Order: sequence, then structure tokens, then C-alpha cells
Amino acid sequence: MYLSSLRLTNFRNFADERLTIPREGVAIVGDNGQGKTNLLEAIYYLEIFRSFRGAPDDQLVRFGEDVCRVEGLVGGAGEARTIAAAYDRRARRKKVTVDGVEPDRIGDALGRVGVVMFSPADVALVSGSPAGRRRFLDIVLSLTERHYLEDLQRYRQILLQRNAVLRAGESTALVSAWNPGLVRAGSRVVAARLRWVRSRRDSFAARIREIANGSDAALEFDPSLPLDEEESGDDLDRVVATFESELARTADREQRRGATLVGPHRDDLRMRAASGGHGEWVDLRVYGSGGQQRTAAVALRMVEADTLRERLGSEPVILLDDVFAELDVGRSQRILRWVDREAPAQVIITAPKPADIELRGGALPVWSIRGGHVESL
Amino acid sequence: MSLIERLTDEFARLPGIGRKTALRLTYHLLKVTSQEAHRLADAIVAASENVRPCETCGTFTEVSPCRICTNERRDRSIVCVVEEGPDVGAIEATGEYRGLYHVLGGRLSPLDGVGPAELNVNSLLDRVSGESPVREVVLATNPSVEGEATAMYLHRLLAPLGVRVTRIARGLPVGGDLEYADGVTIAEALQYRRDL
Ligand SMILES: Nc1ncnc2c1ncn2[C@@H]1O[C@H](COP(=O)(O)OP(=O)(O)OP(=O)(O)O)[C@@H](O)[C@H]1O
Ligand SMILES: [Mg+2]
Ligand SMILES: [Zn+2]
Repeated sequence: MYLSSLRLTNFRNFADERLTIPREGVAIVGDNGQGKTNLLEAIYYLEIFRSFRGAPDDQLVRFGEDVCRVEGLVGGAGEARTIAAAYDRRARRKKVTVDGVEPDRIGDALGRVGVVMFSPADVALVSGSPAGRRRFLDIVLSLTERHYLEDLQRYRQILLQRNAVLRAGESTALVSAWNPGLVRAGSRVVAARLRWVRSRRDSFAARIREIANGSDAALEFDPSLPLDEEESGDDLDRVVATFESELARTADREQRRGATLVGPHRDDLRMRAASGGHGEWVDLRVYGSGGQQRTAAVALRMVEADTLRERLGSEPVILLDDVFAELDVGRSQRILRWVDREAPAQVIITAPKPADIELRGGALPVWSIRGGHVESL
Repeated sequence: MSLIERLTDEFARLPGIGRKTALRLTYHLLKVTSQEAHRLADAIVAASENVRPCETCGTFTEVSPCRICTNERRDRSIVCVVEEGPDVGAIEATGEYRGLYHVLGGRLSPLDGVGPAELNVNSLLDRVSGESPVREVVLATNPSVEGEATAMYLHRLLAPLGVRVTRIARGLPVGGDLEYADGVTIAEALQYRRDL
């Protein structure tokens, strides 16, 4: 997939920019605060119709304006498509169109660009709270598994209702009326997560070995339900049975605590690495060095790229936002080598200084960005 | 407050009507004859004064018990439970159902403060208990998250009364496309598959 043109209107610090993007990609260079991250945020907005940094839509609208809009022309295996997303701050309304047609639900238009974003903030995927890792899983799976998003939304709605009953201290009859729906939707979410981690474990370990020069690391699913990751068989049936028995087991406790205590809303991903010398494996969230955590975050994004590539049947667009700022030279070089190997993927990379980027043998065109204006050098 | 404002405010209070539409309705009515205006006003007053929920089933009716409840030709051994009055109309329109109805007046939604006490649940239990002719209760609440939970809850209350409790089948919509149906719908359509 590749983005051939982009138009930004009142998005962040862009007033009205029209860009034609080269097939191989572009390196964007500019000082701090000039709009590098904003530009990538706009591109990613066409993928998930939300800010990748989790910013509310209001903040995307240029100061003093009411409506922001991003439009991109996307080429790929099939014919070109125009994807557009606009947000009206006053009316609090978002409008998404694909080739001018509004889909029934915004969720139906997710993932039409096919793009992976590497950001310095990704380190929080490893060092931060479980919520960030669940968000990662939810985005990857919403983009690649056909019914994941519907199952997730249904699960969340039932969870809210069920927790409201628990908080009000209602009878178990009223609480358990929500159980079948909770289990049905929630188990599908858990099973999808379980399958994803199982299928990506090896490539995660391989990516880490590649970036960090042979170090060993592992990606594990840490589900709220006591599931054995190794055990196969029908995942869904097994998850359903476990979910039901766990709800029964925690029934008293959840009445006291006034909330649902087990389920995918409490899942986590765990990344571990072999620590030097003693052959012990440590949780990178707790014991990882800054560099190890950043490496694991990059590996997780590479694995996301693998997942998207399989879904799309072609290379996703790779966005790299200032990712080498805090990595040592060796690791940075090895990541760049990965990007090079991903060719013919389109790469859009940003950095404060031109010297930071030496990609595709220096063949990538370079643009400069200042105060929301882009110029090719 | 001017008369125009007063009327517009009344319209704007109605569900699904915003300020703009309210204003348009007001200006429309200003142009009609006084006879037409009276006809509308009379229709509103007459409906509001004469239509009541049926004392038995909860359907809106001018005569209570309603015509369905008193119809001798209907099957008194089966009661179909729906969320709202219009659902009765939808099922009646099919001509496929000959039993009686029970209108809950909503569905469980703790987030909106709707529990069993806000719904016609007790009257349903009364209809089914004791020397009742009812042998089967069909739960026809919507296949939404809340409708499902409401059906589950009612099932739990009704089952001990010795009545057969059924749930309308869920699955793929006629004319729908398997490829675009969501996972839960497909899973249920498979689960409730039937022999041909
Ligand atoms: N809604 C908005 N309207 C106008 N300007 C905005 C808006 N939101 C953010 N900005 C401006 O955008 C700039 C930040 O842009 P961005 O984050 O893209 O910088 P950057 O080029 O990535 O810098 P760095 O190298 O520091 O990461 C800030 O100057 C900020 O004031
Ligand atoms: Mg930045
Ligand atoms: Zn009646």
C-alpha cells in the first residue's frame, strides 16, 4: 500500500497543505515543534480515525478553527481509493468517507490505508500500564480480524451495564442476566488475542535478536482468565468454559467490590528478556533498561507490520517518527536495515536533522517542515 | 413568551425533534386553516385522554382489556413478551402469531436506571402463576445487549413457574450477507441451525 497524495486542512498546525508523496516515501526534517509528528498523526488518522497519541478530536482542530480534515489517495493491490476524515468541533461530529461514500459505521472503514506507526512514545507499550498494551492489541486486531471490533464494543457495553448493576448492589439474578452476553462477546475477544500472541511469539523473539544483536526475549499473553497458552484445541470453547467458571468463582467477591473482576478488560501482554549471566528471565516492564524497553517496543511494531502485511497481501506504509533519538547507533542501524529490507514498502520518516537518516542508500527524497509548511529540498 | 415561542418549545420537547424542525412545524401550522389546526389539537387531546395501557397486557388501547386480550379466537396458552407497544404491531403485521402479548415498557438498562421495578415484570408473573392457562412464554425482546439480558432475567423468573420459556430465534437477516454479518450473529445462526 502507498499514499500518493495527502491534503490537510486545519489539522493541528497545518492550515491547508497539499502534498504529493513519492512512491518510495520521504524523509521529513524539521526543528522541534514544526509539525513532523502532526503530519504522521494525520496520516494515521486515515487508518483508525483517531489520534495515534490518544488525543481527543477537539485537539486536532487548528486553533481558532472549527473543522479539520484529512484526505489521502491510497494506492495498493487494487485500484486507488480516496479516504477522507473530517471532524467538526462545534457539532462534535466526525465524517469519514471512502471514495466519497460514508460507510454505515466508521468501524467499517478502518484500516483502508494499511499503515504502521513507530513513535518514541511506543516505549510506554513496554513500560506503561496494561491499558496501553490492550489498546495495542485492540487496534491491531480491529485492523486485521474481521469481527473483532464488534465483539469488543459489545463486550464493553455489557461490561458497563453489568458493573452498573454490581455497583447498585442488586441481586445475583439481575447480575447474572448479563453473564451469557458477557461471556459470548468477551470469549471471542480473548480467543482472538490468544491466537494473535501465539502466532506472533516466534517472530517477536526473532526481531529482538535481530535488533539487539542476539539477545533473547519473549512475548506472552497474560490473560485475566487462567488459560494455559500452550494448550491448544478449540480456543473459543476453552475460553467460554473458563470464563463461566471464573465468573462463578468470583461472584461473591464482585458483589462486594461492585465490579466485574475477570475478563478481557483485565488482560495484559508480557514481554520478558533473558537477563545477563544468570539465565533468568525478567519482565521488561519492571526490570528492562530504557534501551531494552525501546527495543521491545520497536519489535512489537515490526510484528504489527507482519500482521498487517498478511492481512493486506502487500506491504503496509511505514511511518517512523523520530525513533532513533534514544537508541544507540547499532540498534538504529539494524532497524534501518529492517526498513530497507521491507522495500517496496513506502517509508515516511521524520528526524530533527538530515544526518540522522541514511535510508535506501540515501535515495529517499528529503523534505523540510517549518510551522506547518512542507517544502521539498 | 410569544405564542410562536410557546408552540415551538412544545414541539422541541418531543423526541427526535430539534429546535430547527420545531420551528418549521410551527410556521407550517401558522399557515393552515383554523379547522385543520383544531383537527390536530383534537386528535392529540382525544388520544391522550382515551388511550391507556391495557390492564392485562400493557398494549396501548382505547378499550381495556384490549381487543387482542378479549379476542376469543386467540390462543390463550401462549404469551409473547415484547419491549414496546410498536413491537406488537410489527408481529401482528406478519399475521403469523395467534397468541397473546405482554408489553414490558422497556428493557433492563442499569446505566439508564431501568431495573425490573420500572418494567411490567410483576404483572407478567401474575399472568403466568396460579390457575393460569398460559403454557408458553415467548421472549421477543430485541436481540440487543440489553434485550438479551432482559430475556435472560425473565427466563430465570419464569422457569420455576413451570411454564415453557422460549426465545425468538436470532441469526442472519433475510437478504443479509454472511460475509458482512458480525461474529456473534454468525455464531448464533450456526448454533440455532435447523434441519432442512
Ligand atoms: N490544534 C492545533 N492548532 C495549531 N497548532 C497546534 C495544534 N496542536 C498542536 N499544535 C502545534 O504543533 C506543534 C507541535 O507539532 P509536532 O508535535 O508535530 O512537532 P514536531 O515537529 O514533531 O516536534 P518534535 O521534534 O519536538 O517532536 C506545536 O508547536 C503546537 O503548538
Ligand atoms: Mg515529534
Ligand atoms: Zn391487552
